Amino acid sequence: MSPIVEVCNATKEYRGVPAVKDVSFDLRRGEVHALLGENGAGKSTLTKMIAGVVEPTAGEIWIDGARVEMSTPSEALRRGIAMVYQETSLVPSLTVAQNIYLTDAQRFHRLRGIYIAGQQFLQSLNFHVDPTAMVSALGAGQKQMVEIARAVHHNAQVIIFDEPTATLTPEEKHQFFSLVERLKQRGVSIIFISHALEEALAIADRITVMRDGQHVVTDVASAFDREKIVRAMVGRSLSNELYGSQQGRRIRDAGDKVLSVQNLSMGNVVRNTSFSLFAGQITGVFGLIGSGRTETAKVVAGVLKRDMFHGGQVRLDGRSVRYRVPRPAVRDGIIYVTEDRKVEGFFETMSIAENIHLGALAGGRTKSSTVSMTEMRRIAQEWITALNVKAINADARVIELSGGNQQKIVVAKALVQKPRLIIFDEPTRGVDVGAIAEIHQLINKLADDGIAVMVISSYLPEVLQLSDRILVCRQGRIVEEFDGHKADEETIMYAAVH
Amino acid sequence: MIGSLTRAFDSLFGRGEAAVTVPPLDGALRPNRALDEATVRIALPEVDCLAVHSGGLVASAGDAIHVLTGDGTWTRRRSYGSPVACIASVGTDALAVALDSGYVLIEGGRFDGRRYRVDSAVSCITAMGFADGMLYVANGSATGTVRDWQRDLLERNSTGSIWRIDLEAGTAGRMADGLAWPAGIAIDPGGLVVSEAWRHRLVRIDLSGKARPVVLLGDLPGYPGRLSPAAGGYWLSVFAPRSQLVELVLREPAYRKRMIAEVPRDYWVAPKLRSGRSYYEPLQGGGVKHLGMLKPWAPTMSFGMGVWLDPGFRARFSLQSRADGGTHGVTSVIEHEGSAVAAARGDGVVVRLPAKGGEA
Repeated sequence: MSPIVEVCNATKEYRGVPAVKDVSFDLRRGEVHALLGENGAGKSTLTKMIAGVVEPTAGEIWIDGARVEMSTPSEALRRGIAMVYQETSLVPSLTVAQNIYLTDAQRFHRLRGIYIAGQQFLQSLNFHVDPTAMVSALGAGQKQMVEIARAVHHNAQVIIFDEPTATLTPEEKHQFFSLVERLKQRGVSIIFISHALEEALAIADRITVMRDGQHVVTDVASAFDREKIVRAMVGRSLSNELYGSQQGRRIRDAGDKVLSVQNLSMGNVVRNTSFSLFAGQITGVFGLIGSGRTETAKVVAGVLKRDMFHGGQVRLDGRSVRYRVPRPAVRDGIIYVTEDRKVEGFFETMSIAENIHLGALAGGRTKSSTVSMTEMRRIAQEWITALNVKAINADARVIELSGGNQQKIVVAKALVQKPRLIIFDEPTRGVDVGAIAEIHQLINKLADDGIAVMVISSYLPEVLQLSDRILVCRQGRIVEEFDGHKADEETIMYAAVH
Repeated sequence: MIGSLTRAFDSLFGRGEAAVTVPPLDGALRPNRALDEATVRIALPEVDCLAVHSGGLVASAGDAIHVLTGDGTWTRRRSYGSPVACIASVGTDALAVALDSGYVLIEGGRFDGRRYRVDSAVSCITAMGFADGMLYVANGSATGTVRDWQRDLLERNSTGSIWRIDLEAGTAGRMADGLAWPAGIAIDPGGLVVSEAWRHRLVRIDLSGKARPVVLLGDLPGYPGRLSPAAGGYWLSVFAPRSQLVELVLREPAYRKRMIAEVPRDYWVAPKLRSGRSYYEPLQGGGVKHLGMLKPWAPTMSFGMGVWLDPGFRARFSLQSRADGGTHGVTSVIEHEGSAVAAARGDGVVVRLPAKGGEA
């Protein structure tokens, strides 16, 4: 069978850092092809190249036997390739039918006309969705159906699903799988990205596993089992060279219990989760995207609110606390260092000194009602020296710094608040190798100084290298705990996938 | 006024004091099966308290004291005609035996044969500790006996007290009161450390009795019991787990009152030393059993736990028996000849295992 999509030796680099390296991949007509790998393995980048969202730095993409160079998703859609994202791309304030026909070339639509056409079209797909319903009123499963209907409406011959089942209920999952089966019967080829290994094994014809941006293995689904997939997903050597082995590493003893999270709930993202954090220890939290780890940390730090009714309890030093905004949490010494530094971490148009000073203000460390520019620069300079920030001076704008140095400024902004408990969310995401080592050193020093440290990371070697104890988060709750020096990648990954 | 409003608000939303939550078993208290995996298991029905006397291991069970013989079996040493509430070493060669009647007897050593009555109101002796000629006695409750521990919890009493007996002079005095079931005593250079079961914590009590108790270890996921010194630290027995169901019931006075009055004690919604033996018990739904097999992680009313504490009374590791285990209701853990020995009253068994629980 000739492949409908063929990727030959594709590479995609972001600022010289390869996200996908020399990967070859093919998708046959009418097959369901599961693409598996850890977070950061390069699955999304590969599929985005196929869907025209990003252009490959090197390599070729062939569709239907012809070499193509696509620079926009609409170009890919014209060639019959559609991508259904985990976060749907529907317009919530429009109706189902309006969303389906939104990108049609016709300038004006008669509303009644598209409702009738939409009704017939959805029925032909056996989707029980009201075309006149507002998208904002639909459940996750129905939104997914509308996305799929939109893709089919554009005569997509290839549909790429990125984590389609992550937000679905069991009933909705069942519906989704029968839909995949029907699409397959219509000759549509499907790329299925998922962390749910059992689902991939159940519905895929072939499976490809990626790791560290590289292709590891492709074979028919029957040649795989859960263990084999997990081994292929984590069996890296490069990371060991970069991070070293955790064997023989000194594990810090736990100090006093600083934080106790008890039966915490927030919607269906954080579900009855419980864990403790201890002074002088680094607690690593590993989980796949959507496992609720970031949301849990944000509830602890007052960035998000837990459920109004029976949302559980957070105890700081044995005292029950409930933060509605981050400010009182910061005053109590709980600092959350965000994973999305550009949006939540710093003010990009402000200088290094101003950003760090804002941290001091937030922590209530500055009593004066006026700002001394000299004092502000002095404090900033101290942190620039302490964290080895590569910048001309304290007046440089943060946006002009490299990713690693930006992250150091975010960390400085947190540390100036003198935390008792600091939560790092993906501390080395988008950071160069040199800065990774420096940030790790800093995190270790914080724990040595008796601060309770929580490190959330999607990168297993980082979790293993840093953590004194490792918590694994899955489906909104902590499901396993490991000693930092005894855990291995396979065991942790096994606990993290479902 | 504001306090009442806050309580009503908390009760409606399940927040603050009304939050029905329990601390997780994590860190040093991470679930394990060390107690069930112990290779040395010696049955002794009703075993309760352990002590070392003249180098040998002795245990209280029912109304008698038993001695562990060289061939690994228990031999009845003496019966007292009244249930033994607890025992404790007095130096190396003597043993203090507290009876349900409230009397404390000394056997062996300088004070051999002496009999003390702490106070006429003391009849619930849960633990004892000896240092510098003084015997410290924990009286769990002023309203019942040791056997009434579940009722004392459900009534949310805090009428326990700590007493000091001068063995030489024969005088006794109260050091602290208002405690919520003091169930264990340890003496360290900083004073007296008491486990306060119903408040799930260890507190330090000033020997002069003047300063307020200081919390050393709080928010435990179970009810802490007896403490005993060990090499480089202490052993703490945690005799029953906390559960969300019990925490909920503890916030419902009317329900508790009716339950105590109308339901047989074995079927109360309350922590137990051994649970899961009758289908009349609460917590028998599908979340507990699968294909007739009890899940190890199921919510349970009983478990087994001994916690090793460092000199600062911080938990370092624990020995456990999970919901499906067979070493529940650990009422005493002591160190003997380099091993940890735990008495599981719920299952009537004494287990011996390496003192570090297999840890390096």
